[in-house]
Amino acid sequence: MISSRTIWDLALVVTLLIGSAFIWMTRATPGAIATPLVPEPAAAQPAPLVGHPAPEFTLTAVDGAQVSLSDLRGQVVLINLWATWCPPCRAEMPAIQQAYERFRDQGFIVLAVNQQEESATIVKYMNDQRLTFPALLDSDARVSAAYQARVLPSSFFIDRRGIIRAVYRGPMSRGMIEGTIEQLVAETP
Amino acid sequence: MYPIIELGPLNLGSGALLLVIAVFVGHARFERVARQRGGEPLEHRASRCAPFALAGAAIGARLWYGLFNWDMYSQSPGLFLALRLGDLAWPGALIGGALAGYAYLRLRRMDNAAAPLADAASLALPMAQAIASLGLLLSGEALGTPADLPWAVPLFGVPRHPVALYYLLAALATWGALMWVARLSPQPGTLAAVYLVLQGSALLLLEALRVDSLVAAGGVRTAQVVGLAMIVIALWWKRTQTASVL
Repeated sequence: MISSRTIWDLALVVTLLIGSAFIWMTRATPGAIATPLVPEPAAAQPAPLVGHPAPEFTLTAVDGAQVSLSDLRGQVVLINLWATWCPPCRAEMPAIQQAYERFRDQGFIVLAVNQQEESATIVKYMNDQRLTFPALLDSDARVSAAYQARVLPSSFFIDRRGIIRAVYRGPMSRGMIEGTIEQLVAETP
Repeated sequence: MYPIIELGPLNLGSGALLLVIAVFVGHARFERVARQRGGEPLEHRASRCAPFALAGAAIGARLWYGLFNWDMYSQSPGLFLALRLGDLAWPGALIGGALAGYAYLRLRRMDNAAAPLADAASLALPMAQAIASLGLLLSGEALGTPADLPWAVPLFGVPRHPVALYYLLAALATWGALMWVARLSPQPGTLAAVYLVLQGSALLLLEALRVDSLVAAGGVRTAQVVGLAMIVIALWWKRTQTASVL
């Protein structure tokens, strides 16, 4: 008769073998999603996640212009979801403005997507703070939903190919903003 | 998807809110179960051990997340300390919590409470995990692979496996199974072993359906490795028990 210890040994070995084989068979294939360093645009669905193409949207800016994300392909885009009533959003605005001024000539643009506020409120705030990048009106919060902006501010850095390369939820430091942009503008389209 | 719960001027992230609730519920249940199973002495030990286990879980969850998002975290190490409730990983929480809890018991020379407390934690955790999974479901995290199934959930334009829902069901099933085993009054540690096998299997099988897994070299999903390790640890423990009886 086989001892029960042998049976447990056998169970252990079999579990390990089958488990490891399963893990290997179901591993994330490179290019699918999981490798943010070499994203494959064609292979991935648009999603507000690192490595995915940024979900497309068209919004009206406070000056009345229509802005589509797809028109900005070739540029590095920072989508910043914010509101004037949100203190951490206000806190990071000067740093974003500074980065905008520093990298604008290298093909960097900020889209400040405002969550459901009046155009007049936004314009007054932008003028008071001397913010010069485009502010967009997300009046029905559709873009906030598409980008899963559970936290304000939420920031998405999109590379020249339209792929999300970094996502920050909560306020960003100057170093985080400029470090990320510096890296992305250096890449060739 | 209901990523944001509006309370007047407050926009609360549903995922973060439910995670906080889950921690409170899990903690309260842990102490209650300890009391039911071991009376006041065990409850006392549970409440002394819990803060350390929770702190270990928080640290483990963030370290694990940061380690497998090294590109981002190495560039801004401040992120390791940032208050970002989304940047946590369950396998890290489980490992960190278990290690910190056990280390505390060892230091306090309460080793003999380790098995009964592990049992109590196993009975308490599934409820907390179910609540946290509901949070993942509401906030649209734990994104699944595209699926052509009647229960697929549309997310980003494609019907997908609702992996968060699967995790929720797995947590409830684990809970039911543990309640059933608990009534057979098994030897201390058995409930923890059953928990490890069931939840390990859940991680091993369900993680395969995710598209946002944390991965290690070669695309291996880290949560699956942890799941397999959980099963193996439980089997190994059972084997040593068998050996000592013979």
